[in-house]
Amino acid sequence: MVTSDSLIQVRDLCKYYDKGRIKALDGISVDINRGDVMVVIGPSGGGKSTFLRSLNLLEVPTSGEVIFEGVDITKKRDANGEKIDLNAHRQKMGMVFQHFNLFPHKTVIENLMLAPMKVKKTGGEETREKCVALLERVGLADKAETYPIQLSGGQKQRVAIVRALAMDPDVMLFDEPTSALDPEMVGEVLDVMKELARNGMTMVVVTHEMGFAREVGNRILFLASGKLVEEGHPEQIFNAPESDRLKDFLSKVLI
Amino acid sequence: MKITMAGFEAAWKYGELFWQGVVCTVSLSALTVIFGFILALVLALCRLGKVRVLNILASVYVELFRATPMLVQLFIVYYVVFANIDLIPGFKLFGFIRFNRFFPGVVALSLNSGAYLSEIIRAGIQSIDIGQTEAARSLGLTQRQNMRHIVLPQAIKNILPAIANEFVTIIKESSICYTIGVQEIMSAVTAVKGATFKIAEPLIVATALYFCLTYPTSKIIEHFERRMSLGDKR
Repeated sequence: MVTSDSLIQVRDLCKYYDKGRIKALDGISVDINRGDVMVVIGPSGGGKSTFLRSLNLLEVPTSGEVIFEGVDITKKRDANGEKIDLNAHRQKMGMVFQHFNLFPHKTVIENLMLAPMKVKKTGGEETREKCVALLERVGLADKAETYPIQLSGGQKQRVAIVRALAMDPDVMLFDEPTSALDPEMVGEVLDVMKELARNGMTMVVVTHEMGFAREVGNRILFLASGKLVEEGHPEQIFNAPESDRLKDFLSKVLI
Repeated sequence: MKITMAGFEAAWKYGELFWQGVVCTVSLSALTVIFGFILALVLALCRLGKVRVLNILASVYVELFRATPMLVQLFIVYYVVFANIDLIPGFKLFGFIRFNRFFPGVVALSLNSGAYLSEIIRAGIQSIDIGQTEAARSLGLTQRQNMRHIVLPQAIKNILPAIANEFVTIIKESSICYTIGVQEIMSAVTAVKGATFKIAEPLIVATALYFCLTYPTSKIIEHFERRMSLGDKR
């Protein structure tokens, strides 16, 4: 169903490798609405990350459409024949990676300020103020002048989140944001994400944190073998799964 | 042949020649470093880019220049490419460096070192985690901005020792240009030999001069290396 509220419409998305022998994504269609916290779960190799990375075209799909704010960004030109500037759309989709991918040769504050200043061309003073405020929001204002290597995993991921937020994105994409963290640091990152969700940020989260999915998510996608097997509200997905594939998956991950 | 103090004193009288040789060697090397590096950057980006024709052209260039002797390349540039020497202005750089010999020397050295440097730069760029590029592109940076602000600064930091090595090699290899009459340090040695009939002493002077050029070069780059590795310290 297409509603006026939908931010990203994914249409029949396919990603094949090895001339179609491997189908990482096999016809996924879904609408992501403004304010959604969509959590994508499923077994390893099921296409979760490929799906997420296709949304901002880090992964170029074999076929299908990704319509972001009304523009099919998989195309080179829009309906009017105007050239589509993928970079202009990408800056509105913040992304957080499993391995943080902070820029090691830049200080924390430089990591945050780089994209606003180079892409949006905002002024140095206002950008710095804004970035310091973002760091304060995640309790890392005192780390502004340090280099990423001096931070713990949890701190790195919090910096990575605010680095994406510094571009004022319309949606945040999280690719297993806590999978590379020591267990005691998972909480601090999830807390930041929960705060974001509470403030109405549209989020798509690939994760193995079922607790987070259940508590924060308003929609759950279950992907397996490149297909969207089941979709629904967390209550329904976790308490009344329909497909055998999902029942099997849940029996392995829960408890 | 005996090495005597008298021999050094005789060579000392031609100190001016050695000084000119040093100025020439330094200019030759400095220009080669600049042009060689620019060429290398272009070659590396061509090899790594998406345009297949450029990939192939750059590979062929690199393989050709690495697989043939420097002396042959120099002679081809000087005697074949610049055969019509009137094309190059014949003025004298700093009043004593004959430009129509100096310039082909710079060209040949740059073409050669560009091939070697491009392989170093390519390896440096490829050593950077793809996640860096993904992060930069996801923030909306263009391919060019990603190269300039994210990939190249990290790549160049990683390859600085190899670049330092190549710079030192350029200073040393520039001595080959004396064969086409560029008045660098080795040509000063020959001139002093002709005037004093002494060879050992001028050669020792030349050795010392080369060392005085190459050693500080590697030290200066080491300094930059330390400054750029701030992000590595815990």
